[in-house]
Amino acid sequence: MGHKVSRGPAMRRICWWSVDRVSRLLEPDERDAVRGDLTESGASGGSALREVLGLVVRRQAALWLDWRPWLALVGVVVPLGMLLGLVSRNWADGSAIYAWLYVNNWTWGFVEIPGARRDLADTIVRFTLNSLTLIGWSWTSGFVLGSLSRRTTWANGSLFCLAAFGGTLAIATVGSQNPFNAAVFSLTFYSTVWPIILLTVLVALPALAGMRQTFRLPTLPLLQTFLWAVLIAILTARAKRGSGPLGLLSLLIMWPVGYMIATAGWQRWRGTAPRAG
Amino acid sequence: MLLGEFEYLMLTAAVRLGDDAYGVAIRQGIEEATGRPCSLGALYTTLDRLEAKGFIKTWMGNATPQRGGRPKRMVRVTAKGIQAATDFYGAVMRVSRGVRWATR
Repeated sequence: MGHKVSRGPAMRRICWWSVDRVSRLLEPDERDAVRGDLTESGASGGSALREVLGLVVRRQAALWLDWRPWLALVGVVVPLGMLLGLVSRNWADGSAIYAWLYVNNWTWGFVEIPGARRDLADTIVRFTLNSLTLIGWSWTSGFVLGSLSRRTTWANGSLFCLAAFGGTLAIATVGSQNPFNAAVFSLTFYSTVWPIILLTVLVALPALAGMRQTFRLPTLPLLQTFLWAVLIAILTARAKRGSGPLGLLSLLIMWPVGYMIATAGWQRWRGTAPRAG
Repeated sequence: MLLGEFEYLMLTAAVRLGDDAYGVAIRQGIEEATGRPCSLGALYTTLDRLEAKGFIKTWMGNATPQRGGRPKRMVRVTAKGIQAATDFYGAVMRVSRGVRWATR
């Protein structure tokens, strides 16, 4: 009985909190007008949430009548989301072997013996550069996704993460299938947790940061974009020399970079300063 | 350009309300006239459509305490909107001439 009495206000608070969160997907003026209408008409939390959800769904559906969200979906979300997920998984399994070697079997010999020390340094440099490459690709993908269609970013961003996670979790790489690596991948941390950590830190979070950047500045200045493109090209060329399914990705990743340069160049040519969208 | 049924209802409710035409008031007018609920989603997307067609003009009004300090989206029907509503009404009247809907 006491539970029933206290559940009402709690539910109401949850509903109005949800109304507040969902209504953020509306334009500021419309959000204010709608919240005012709901307050004035004395709507209950549940009905207010239904009303706002209905409006948001209509607004979001209308956005998909434009070609840009579809280009973001077909050109970035599906191919790059999945490929970045696959590359992340491939590199996670590759690095897991070295992580297991150096962390689980640590001995000071790794730093005392010159040859072993050089191997350790090479491994650290390779892992760092691979991580930077993946972060760069993911940020670029997120940025282009956001600048193509800012108002559908949350939908396309969710699908991007879904594609990255969904496209990689069920696969097995050559490294993990190799019986010589059984000791590494018999540990749950290296077989399951490590790939998820890398996917989150090197793909999902940078991509979300890229999307977020477009809310502040949908187009970067030309010089900054050019330098970024050069950096991505160098990192891509270096990664392509290594192992992994990078042939297709290196081609695919260049189109968002090209798009960034084209939009920045267009802004410069029109003589308009980049501004928040 | 012929209006849709809901667009006509909205224009009529807005004209009836005059200077007091805004979201909630238009919604109440439509619900009272039709006896059916009118969702905010339908209301605001139709307002946008009518404004894009040039049939209404909307602007943000003053904030009031009974709205939690939030402004109203005020609506005014333009001359083009009045013409469109008149045409729609005329078409309904003409097509209805000689038709008896009353059930026996």
